[in-house]
Amino acid sequence: MTALVQTLVNGLLYGGILSIAAVGFSLIFGVMSVINLTHGIFVIGGAYGALVAWSVLGIDPLLSIPPLMLVAFALGWACQRLVIQPAVERGNPVAALLVTFGFALIAVNLLTVTFSSSVRSISPSYSFINLRLGDISIDLVRLVAFGCGLALIAILGSFLRFSRWGRVIRATALSELGARLCGVDARAVYAMTFAVASAFAAASGVLIGMMLPFTPADEVTWTVYAFIVVTLGGVGSLGGAMLGGLLLGLVSTLTQTYLGAVYTNMVMFLILLFTLLVRPNGILGSAFKASR
Amino acid sequence: MARRITILLLAVLLIAALTTLPFFLKAFHIRVGLSIFLSAGFAVCWWLLAGFTAYYSFGHTAFVGIGAFAAALALRAVPEAAPALQLAWSLGAGLVVAGGIAAIIAWPILRLRGHYFTIAMLAVALVLGEAVAAFPVFGGSTGLALPNLAPMGVRVEAFFYWIALALLAIVMAVAWVISRSRLGYGLAAIREDEDAAQMLGVPTTRFKVVAFVLSGGLIGLIGAVYALNLGYITSDSVFRGSLSLEMIVNSLVGGMGSILGPVIGAAVMTGVTKLVLADLLEYHLAITGVLIVAVVLVAPDGLVGLWRRRRAQSAGR
Amino acid sequence: MTTTDLLSVQGLAAGYGGALAVRGLDFAVAPGTIAVLVGANGAGKTTTVQVIAGAIRPSGGTIRFDGETVTGLDCPAMVDRGITLVPEGRLIFARMTVEENLLMGALNRRAAANLARNLDRVFALFPRLAQRRGQLGGSMSGGEQQMLAIARGLMAEPRLMILDEPSLGLAPKVVAETFGLIRQLNAEGITILLVEQNVRQSLQLADRAFVIEKGRVVLSGAGPTLLDDPFVKTAFLGL
Ligand SMILES: Nc1ncnc2c1ncn2[C@@H]1O[C@H](COP(=O)(O)OP(=O)(O)OP(=O)(O)O)[C@@H](O)[C@H]1O
Ligand SMILES: [Mg+2]
Repeated sequence: MTALVQTLVNGLLYGGILSIAAVGFSLIFGVMSVINLTHGIFVIGGAYGALVAWSVLGIDPLLSIPPLMLVAFALGWACQRLVIQPAVERGNPVAALLVTFGFALIAVNLLTVTFSSSVRSISPSYSFINLRLGDISIDLVRLVAFGCGLALIAILGSFLRFSRWGRVIRATALSELGARLCGVDARAVYAMTFAVASAFAAASGVLIGMMLPFTPADEVTWTVYAFIVVTLGGVGSLGGAMLGGLLLGLVSTLTQTYLGAVYTNMVMFLILLFTLLVRPNGILGSAFKASR
Repeated sequence: MARRITILLLAVLLIAALTTLPFFLKAFHIRVGLSIFLSAGFAVCWWLLAGFTAYYSFGHTAFVGIGAFAAALALRAVPEAAPALQLAWSLGAGLVVAGGIAAIIAWPILRLRGHYFTIAMLAVALVLGEAVAAFPVFGGSTGLALPNLAPMGVRVEAFFYWIALALLAIVMAVAWVISRSRLGYGLAAIREDEDAAQMLGVPTTRFKVVAFVLSGGLIGLIGAVYALNLGYITSDSVFRGSLSLEMIVNSLVGGMGSILGPVIGAAVMTGVTKLVLADLLEYHLAITGVLIVAVVLVAPDGLVGLWRRRRAQSAGR
Repeated sequence: MTTTDLLSVQGLAAGYGGALAVRGLDFAVAPGTIAVLVGANGAGKTTTVQVIAGAIRPSGGTIRFDGETVTGLDCPAMVDRGITLVPEGRLIFARMTVEENLLMGALNRRAAANLARNLDRVFALFPRLAQRRGQLGGSMSGGEQQMLAIARGLMAEPRLMILDEPSLGLAPKVVAETFGLIRQLNAEGITILLVEQNVRQSLQLADRAFVIEKGRVVLSGAGPTLLDDPFVKTAFLGL
């Protein structure tokens, strides 16, 4: 019984991280219909940014989140304006996908050259503290990361719901032409979307870096996980990302505990496949497109 | 008619020239040629589905893996047979098993369109890759070894060079025949507008399934050769996302508009990677990335499209 | 074509990819009037008004608005100058509330400054929208959605309001209401450019009407006069 509760708690904590790590991907997919393969780069880039801030400048990873988000915002903006938008305007659905792939290759190469391919981790002073709740034990770091993840999702949600930019982004996703006729500069909206998504990806990367060891090559994993989370929950909505992330977190820890670690990924991918076949728009459906 | 004969003649000459090449080349360059033929073969098979129907699979490495493991397991059943028989037997196993599994998943998967199909194929590849890694029949994380089937006195790389060349010629011929057939026109109609095609009486489901099974089966065939050439396979080496991506990238770099696209793309990309970038190993990925971005932005219809545009321009002047 | 025209279009050409949908199209709209474009399906009416609204870049010709050449400007620039298009098919934001849809109409600086006043005005004009300000746009009826599209356009404080087939798919009674509304807006000083399939009713409304065929204006005149034109009678009125 205790083991089950412990597993569920671990699963939820991990799921929260999967959720926040997927929201950027979800936003870009929902608004621009672009499968953004640079997503994992921004996640892992955030982890390395926090590593530098912590090991060189001695800044606590949590405090490095805001400045790193700013940097990622600027990089995301530039990346979208310079390479992705021109590809989107080619009209070929795969063109944008390929450009993001090419960009990811460049970035992962630069990360490897800069940081080497060896495994890194960030362990601030509080990283080995264990909280006990009866028989259940919880890593303080995981709990903190979970809380920060939820807070970040809430911030992004409010931005989309209540800010002027958020409204313009949603409108453009719903009808690009309709929004343009209202006087929206669609390109600026896409750049903004990409920049915001990148900032939140980097923030999630900091949290991941605090919890798990990482290498540059992990970027692929985080892109794929974002993919699964979004497919599971539904495209473009934060609720979908939350639901998908938590489900995936639970499934993956349950599989790990009761079937064995070798089956974790297989079960996750099977769920992805199954969801696609029965409910291609995810459990909650797309936030922006009518379901088929 | 005269033009057809010229093209046929040129093709025969080219194949003859490529066949004799190993006698003049160093082992390293033969291996480069072999890599080009294998990746061109994969790209053409991927294009067989994507180029005709615009169903972009992101998981065709699944069929490479199926073909490879089918060949390896098939060879375990006949350890004593003559090498030539073993070769035929393992290639046959790659073709049939990959084609069979393609046939099984074709119907549910092909109901999905656009991004959904793309992602679903990725999931198929990931599931199979993980399953193969998890179950001991497939050697688990240690993988399976395959015997060396090259005849005595023939250099291994040259042997597989010839086989890969032959298979490339075969899959190109298959693609070419399809492009002139009713199937080809039906598939092109699906690419332009699937619903309209269906209303015009094109049996869209059947045509898509046929293209999918051919594509998967032929990749399995080449995948068997890929495995024999490696001599030793693991889940990671044959169910590899980068293999799927290479098929896509090569086809797009070359151009999706014609069957020459994937071949030229594979030749250029593999050639550049193995020959030009060999000394820049550290920056290999970044340079590949720059190439991909550049091609998409500068030559959206690929190198073949670029060449055609150039020619149309100079003809118009 | 006089200098007093609010909008004048000369030799306009535009298309999609290769083929031109509009080629050498001329017409003008005097301030404070109602102008109507009619023509068969595919004649190029939507293309024309989308070019004027800045959604499609023209490949030739000139567009002048209020004495200024505005050819090739983008949507935000056109909206800033006072041109608003209520598009064919409405294109309201289905998963946003009525109020959010209206706020989207008020993005330019002038409209944003007068937001509260414009909201009141629009809600007075369309009481149904006021009742349903929290409802999702996509869950409203076709007629309500058309009202919302027009209301959203009004939020931008247009000087020239272009309406592309506002009566499409509406019941006759609602169509009559819509035409009444257009007349009312015009009386309040907004210049109207109306694209319509409903030829009889729209020509009765028109100070000036233009018949478009294959991307060109083939006939023009005062609306009611055109109703008696033999070509219009056979081509559009089935007489
Ligand atoms: N997005 C598009 N891509 C390609 N061609 C288009 C596009 N939109 C319109 N066309 C073509 O341009 C021509 C003019 O179309 P347009 O929509 O302007 O006609 P219209 O007069 O508004 O017709 P309707 O009364 O049916 O709305 C048509 O031949 C149409 O097929
Ligand atoms: Mg129209």
